[in-house]
Amino acid sequence: MMRFLHSSDLHLGKRFGNFAGDLPGRLREARHAVLGKLAAHARQHGAETILLAGDTFDTETPAADVRRQALTEMAHHATLRWVILPGNHDSLQASELWAQLVTEAPDNVVLATAAAPIMLADNAVLLPAPCVNRRPGRDLSAWMDDAATPEGAIRIGLAHGAVQTFSEDAAGAEVIAPDRARRAGLDYLALGDWHGALAIDPHTHYSGSPEQDRFKHDRSGTALLVEIAAAGAVPAVTPLPTASFAWRTLDLHLLASDDPNAALSALLPELRDRRQTLAKVLASGHAGLAARTTLNRAIEHAAPDFAWLDLDDTQLATECDVEDLDQIDRAGALREAADALLAESVDTNNSAGERAIAAAALARLYGYAQQVSQ
Amino acid sequence: MKLAGIRFHNVKRFAGRGVAVEGIEDGVNVLCAPNEFGKSTTFEALHGLFFLPHSSTAGGVRNLRPYCGGNPLVEADIAVGEARYRLTKQFYSGRFAKVVDLASNRLIAQADEAESFITRLVQGGAGGPAGLLWVRQGITGIEPRSRSDEESDRQVRATLLESVQGEVEAVTGGRRMAAVIAAAAEATGALLTPSGRPKAGGRYATAITLRDQLAQEVQRLESEVTALRDELDQRGVAQRRLAELDNADARQARQQDIAKAEHAFETARAQADRLKTLRAELDLARDRRDTAMREHRQFDEALTEARQVTEESEAVTRRREDAVARRRATSETIAAAQAEMESAEADEIAARDLLQLIENAEKARNAAERRQELEDRLQHAESVRATIEHCDAQLAGLRLPNGALEELADLDVEIARIRAVQDAGRPSVVVAYDDVAIANLTMGGIALKHGEERSYDGHAQLVAPGIGTITLRSNVEDRDSDRLERAESHRHTLLASMGVPNLAAARAQQIRVQKLEAQGNEARAQLKVIAPEGLDELRKVVAALADIDLARIEVKADPVLTRATSEGAEQRRRHAMQMIRTTEPVRAHADEAFIAAETALASLRTREEQIAAILGPAEEHQPRLELLQAALADREAALAEAQRVYDAEHASVLDLDAAESALRRVRSVEQAAANEIQQLRETIAGLNARIVVRSDDAVEEKWREQKEALEAAEARVAAFEHEVAVLTRLTQALEAARSDARDLYLKPVMTELRPLLGLLFDDVEIAFDDHSLLPQTIVRRGQEEDVDRLSGGMREQLSVLTRLAFARLLARDGRPAPVILDDALVYSDDDRIERMFDALHRQARDQQVIVFSCRQRAFQKLGGNALSMTDWQP
Repeated sequence: MMRFLHSSDLHLGKRFGNFAGDLPGRLREARHAVLGKLAAHARQHGAETILLAGDTFDTETPAADVRRQALTEMAHHATLRWVILPGNHDSLQASELWAQLVTEAPDNVVLATAAAPIMLADNAVLLPAPCVNRRPGRDLSAWMDDAATPEGAIRIGLAHGAVQTFSEDAAGAEVIAPDRARRAGLDYLALGDWHGALAIDPHTHYSGSPEQDRFKHDRSGTALLVEIAAAGAVPAVTPLPTASFAWRTLDLHLLASDDPNAALSALLPELRDRRQTLAKVLASGHAGLAARTTLNRAIEHAAPDFAWLDLDDTQLATECDVEDLDQIDRAGALREAADALLAESVDTNNSAGERAIAAAALARLYGYAQQVSQ
Repeated sequence: MKLAGIRFHNVKRFAGRGVAVEGIEDGVNVLCAPNEFGKSTTFEALHGLFFLPHSSTAGGVRNLRPYCGGNPLVEADIAVGEARYRLTKQFYSGRFAKVVDLASNRLIAQADEAESFITRLVQGGAGGPAGLLWVRQGITGIEPRSRSDEESDRQVRATLLESVQGEVEAVTGGRRMAAVIAAAAEATGALLTPSGRPKAGGRYATAITLRDQLAQEVQRLESEVTALRDELDQRGVAQRRLAELDNADARQARQQDIAKAEHAFETARAQADRLKTLRAELDLARDRRDTAMREHRQFDEALTEARQVTEESEAVTRRREDAVARRRATSETIAAAQAEMESAEADEIAARDLLQLIENAEKARNAAERRQELEDRLQHAESVRATIEHCDAQLAGLRLPNGALEELADLDVEIARIRAVQDAGRPSVVVAYDDVAIANLTMGGIALKHGEERSYDGHAQLVAPGIGTITLRSNVEDRDSDRLERAESHRHTLLASMGVPNLAAARAQQIRVQKLEAQGNEARAQLKVIAPEGLDELRKVVAALADIDLARIEVKADPVLTRATSEGAEQRRRHAMQMIRTTEPVRAHADEAFIAAETALASLRTREEQIAAILGPAEEHQPRLELLQAALADREAALAEAQRVYDAEHASVLDLDAAESALRRVRSVEQAAANEIQQLRETIAGLNARIVVRSDDAVEEKWREQKEALEAAEARVAAFEHEVAVLTRLTQALEAARSDARDLYLKPVMTELRPLLGLLFDDVEIAFDDHSLLPQTIVRRGQEEDVDRLSGGMREQLSVLTRLAFARLLARDGRPAPVILDDALVYSDDDRIERMFDALHRQARDQQVIVFSCRQRAFQKLGGNALSMTDWQP
């Protein structure tokens, strides 16, 4: 029986320069807080070991406070054993980092910096495949196939990298064989790199990042509790919530007749959750000039509830009816200008960019006309 | 549309009261009342009725409400074509709008329907101008405008053209357009400078600046990160290299290499030393062999040479004897020739001396003859000279002074002349004898002949024999007797000086003198011939020849014979000379041959002695030679042995240079490794320091942070770019629409306006551009002025006229609209007002003009339909 926690991609020290205000600080702090959450989960579920499958640190040279505070936090949970694997962000090429970790790491932190078996328990062996540099150019997990372990021991692989490549020019060589667990007789292969939790097969799992750092995966971070009854048994894998922040992409599809307020309200999360939510409202469909204005105001209104809220309305087509135009002016030069812009915004002879600009100009005209009338 | 009546209740000051203006007709209607009687309220109520929605509570509506509150009610009766309607609106509580057809008193529209009805009335179709044309006190529009707007309007609308444009825009709804354009421009202005660049300090420029700063920062950090990574890599490489070098096995291997190379080198050096010794021995054996060979060869050569010397000595001795013989023979020949030559020379000298003597005697003879001749000549010359001296002596006594003879001759002539004159003047006597035979009268003792005239001086006495003495007295003074006497005295003196008695004698003497001079001259010429160089020279020549002794130079020899003797001797001498010359080279050659032979002999003797020294006594030659040959053979054998030993040793020797090079190389490898280790340690230390600094600085985190920030900033800039594009597009669309509206209305309005302007400004001619139909210049009293700043009066007049022009335009289109003027002519003078009235009346022929004014007196002249306000209760 072997029970451990599998996590990866903590990216400690990530700074989030694309946000402003105190949000980057909060996001950064949340990443550090993950360590405590992992420890709490481990204790709660009786796991003694926490495997971090790479990219524990965001950079090869994390700031001293990031590194030291992380180690301090790990040391604080002295009954737990932390195994840190070098990933592509904090590969062994970052010799400084690893040299410092060697001198600073407390006793309960194991640095899996060599492709050599580590005894996790009497009957469990860890086979780590540390990233030797940023782009290893080969499948580092290959050595696991021939790694000798005591008879009957549970074989656990620990690796960092993609199992498939989507890029044409990227060398396929550094891709981890998706069936490595089978080939190497692993009971469990703990993978890192992919930020969303993903099961490749019953024995091979990406834990995902315990705290998301982008909108890509649209699910909150988790860690995996893995229980292996004995060598050869199918591991029991349980996701445990670890995230402080939710990163959400909200698809808002509107029809011309829809009330944007209602549609948006239906999408937005609970009021109390919003503080810990970064949300991007991706508007699409059609909306009238008034509806657009309403939507914008609704977003503006809701934004302070959120850690971060943004509207992407590039996919939202403007539908302009006669009443909208009448709001601008019933006749005269203003109406002429509005008609011209409307015509341009739907004229397919124009480029999409030109149409979008004309539509935006019309919406602006609408806004100004409203202001002038009052 | 035309207005027939206006009523309102609860509007502004008229809380709880109502006012009605009824009986509005076609043409000009004038409502003249003092201020505060509600003219402007009427105007605003009318505006509210037509332009404010009854449901509105906006600013315009609030303005209508009394201060104490209440619900404003406005009502107007209008005629559209034949139809007549009543429009009613109430605002605030119980608000409503309705339209009632007055003919049938039927409600035809209410609420929004009624609003639409009213809007249609005033709009007159899409894009058309308002159906009511308003002009207010001092301003030209009805929309609410701020004070600053008006102020800027006043400045901006400086020209006629702009004024008219402004009016047109006001009528065509351009004010909202202007406001929208202004809003767009303001939004644009916040982002861009007028020239279209991002405005410094603006959000757009700030975003760009931020983006650029971030880009720079990212670049800087990226380079730092790259540098850090490079340094990490370098350190990794260096550490690996150091590990390789510093590894114990590698060290030991290098040490072993060195030990091996050193051993090889020592061995090679020992061999080299031995070889050197053998080489020295070999050299010694060779030297000894060479010495023996040399001695043997020397002896052998000496023998050969000794034979040669002997042969040569014989040959040279023969040559010497031969040379001696030849020398003797030639010496004899030369001695004989010498003797012959000497004798010939002696003979020749004797003959030559004799010839000299003969020649000298000949010369002496010739000299004596010459002296004789010269002496003769000297004698002759001296006699000639004596003749000359004689002549000169005679001449000294005889020569007359120069010119004396001529003077004497002249004097004689003068005397004769004087006498003749005296004779002519003197009294004369002539006697004519009767009988010549008795002619015996004498005068002064001289017979006076018949017919002879005789003159006399002073007195004369005639003796007439027989008769007596006759005395004749003339009594005439003798005038020339003195001159005659002086002349004669002179002649006498002259003659005395000449030593002659008379002229004839003088002439004779002169001839003698000439004869003597000729004789002297001839002698002189003779002397010149005889002694051309003078007598003294001749004498010297004679004296020079004086000591020739003729007697001593007598020689008795035959010159011809003597000369032949001399020539023969010469011939002999030459011959002998030639002989000597011919023989001498032969003897010289013999001498040389002799000397050469002697020299050769001497040299041969020396060689002979040398050889003898080498060879020693002749009987020892052969044994010595054999001895030498044996020694040579011995030494050859010794050399061969030494060579063999040396070669054997040399073949087996190690290459010392190679061994040394190898040793050097392995040592340098060790040294290089040591150096490299040291250098690597230093490099690593340096890299460590830099890496630590950069790591502590967390440059990579910063880099990622700034990169994300840059992406955000770029997105922001892109958003601003989009915003700018949107604003630009909007402004462009608005400008285009406004420009079109201007084209649509401005030109027709200008066409309508032109006659009205002429009507008003008869002292001003306004020139219109033919092409754009817009006013271009103003000609005032024949003076062309730019259409620049307009007076307030002119502006308001233009404002009214423009609206009149519009109204005309609309009327022509079959959409007549009332023109409503509220105290619109406050700046105009009386004259202009009258003109304006004329214009109004002219326009009002086919349309409605409603004028509100407080200027009762001035507007009395307007005439038209006078309106009045009456109380009204709905």
